[in-house]
Amino acid sequence: MNSIRRRLLLWLLSGLALAVVAAGARIYTQTLDEANELFDYHLKQMAASLPSDAFGPLPPSSAAAMGSVNGFVVQIWDRNGLELYFSQPASKLPQRAELGFSTVDTPNGRWRVYSVLERNNVIQVAQPMSVRRDLAAGMALHALVPLLALLPVLGILIWLTIGRGLQPLDRMAEALGRRTPDSLDPLPEEGLPNEIQPLVHALNDLLGRLARALESQKAFVADAAHELRTPLTAVQLQIQLAQRAQTGEEREAAFARLKGGQSRAAHLVQQLLTLARQEPGVAPQTFAPVDLAELARLVVSEYAPLAADKNIDLGLGRAEHASVSGDFEALRVMLGNLVDNAIRYTPAGGTVDVALHLSGREAVLEIADTGPGIPQEDRARVFDRFYRRDAAHVAGSGLGLAIVKNIADRHHASIVLDNRTPGPGLRVAVSFPLA
Amino acid sequence: MRLLLVEDDQMIGESVRAGLQQDGFAVDWVQDGRAAELALETNSYDTLLLDLGLPRKAGLDVLASLRRRGDAIPVLILTARDAISDRVKGLDAGADDYLVKPFDLEELAARVRALLRRKSGRADPVVQVGSLILNPATHEVTLEGKSISLSAREFALIHALAGRPGVVYSRTQLEEKLYGWGHEVESNTVEVYIHSLRRKLGADLIHNVRGVGYMVPKQP
Repeated sequence: MNSIRRRLLLWLLSGLALAVVAAGARIYTQTLDEANELFDYHLKQMAASLPSDAFGPLPPSSAAAMGSVNGFVVQIWDRNGLELYFSQPASKLPQRAELGFSTVDTPNGRWRVYSVLERNNVIQVAQPMSVRRDLAAGMALHALVPLLALLPVLGILIWLTIGRGLQPLDRMAEALGRRTPDSLDPLPEEGLPNEIQPLVHALNDLLGRLARALESQKAFVADAAHELRTPLTAVQLQIQLAQRAQTGEEREAAFARLKGGQSRAAHLVQQLLTLARQEPGVAPQTFAPVDLAELARLVVSEYAPLAADKNIDLGLGRAEHASVSGDFEALRVMLGNLVDNAIRYTPAGGTVDVALHLSGREAVLEIADTGPGIPQEDRARVFDRFYRRDAAHVAGSGLGLAIVKNIADRHHASIVLDNRTPGPGLRVAVSFPLA
Repeated sequence: MRLLLVEDDQMIGESVRAGLQQDGFAVDWVQDGRAAELALETNSYDTLLLDLGLPRKAGLDVLASLRRRGDAIPVLILTARDAISDRVKGLDAGADDYLVKPFDLEELAARVRALLRRKSGRADPVVQVGSLILNPATHEVTLEGKSISLSAREFALIHALAGRPGVVYSRTQLEEKLYGWGHEVESNTVEVYIHSLRRKLGADLIHNVRGVGYMVPKQP
């Protein structure tokens, strides 16, 4: 029974019923106390009002009249124990020498007895306690019956009120149910009860984050589709040229071009995959201690052949020992992309230097080249996906730096682009926080 | 026919140029917006093939300033932007046609021919002067019903002349129609082709206007 409405109804009604019973009990005991006081006073009065010398048997009618009123019983006997008078011969009470008030258990139930010594006679006035209890119970019941009769009415009222109170939840559920994955605009927050507002607020927050994530995914897919079109166009054109080729020589040239186009498309797809894998929060992170100096040595040796091909002096300068917590493969891709970029943009005969040093609480990986550098106004944009500053002259997917940025973000590292000193050239500094 | 291709992508540019050259067009290729404007100012082209996402000056800006100058050159946009709104924007900016990447070389050539046809005020795809019939799509040539075989350059030359009968082309103009940049043109190349055309099509089809150039006279 996991319904707020039913649970509330059950608890409220049980509570009410308990309260009613408690009230009944209280009325009962209070009434009983009062009745005791009142009737005890009565007993005393009765005893006092009896004629002390009327010692003949009372006429039965009078006795009956007397006994019928609240069950009083009067009995008198003399100091010798001789019974002088019984108002109710049927219900004889034990003779009690005890004077004053006492409570006596008899076969006829419990009695309240008042005895008084009047000259030589003992006058006993008694009343069954049941009379008093009945009176108290009657009073209590009288008070409780309307309350008990009200319980079902209250139940219905509670049921309806809770239903009404929970209506905003129903409306919200309905509004959410009608949503398509695309409609992520926030739910209206005004006019909501205080209890539901935090929930809706949190939901709206989530919807907002979802909408932004979805938006960036959509933009990414659109960008990717657009970017894939370029190498695919090249491939299609190259295929047609290959088909048209008349001589073996032409065909060979056409196939060589086609191979170039194909590897370019494959490279773009590979980069897209890498980027998608490095999107923040996509893959569970498997961070382990990474020796940055070792990483730098590895990447520099990986790219040494490419640099030699272009007659570029690639080398590792100062490499202090620094260990950060990270994803080794991702960091290798990151540094690889930066070194690859540096080699691509540096003219033949230039230099690319990789260095690692500690600065305060940071480990700084530095890649400096003697290429043309990046103008101040372009430095923010180069990390955008598919942004290519010099598309016509250097081949590339436009994703390299976007991947670098994603990996750096995952490692809480910051990237600064700067002019190499002495210029010209670009200096990229990736700063990792040290634990 | 001489075309200017503006395409920043190395592979696409090379392939389009190679393909169109095989179809008998002379193609000049530049890779950014500024270079395109320079080329348009210094040379005369029959058609402009324009990519939109260009470095230095965007394709649509090149197109806009071209049209502002009153240049009526046919413009075919080649782009990866395929949204309806992009096409509308391109056509409204003054383009004559819009081709979305990836495209087919045959279709590109056909669209260029269609643009050239419209430019010369003809609806008939086949060029006819007297009993000479030229089909620019297939490069088929018939004279008095007989099929004649011409090389790509010969066809380009007779196509230029017969396409606008009565118009005199100078030798330089004809050279430009035959060659893009980077070709060494021998000083007597046009004469060589004219000679060969006269041999195949009859001596009196192409007239020599002394000191000015060549023309195919309008047929009565």
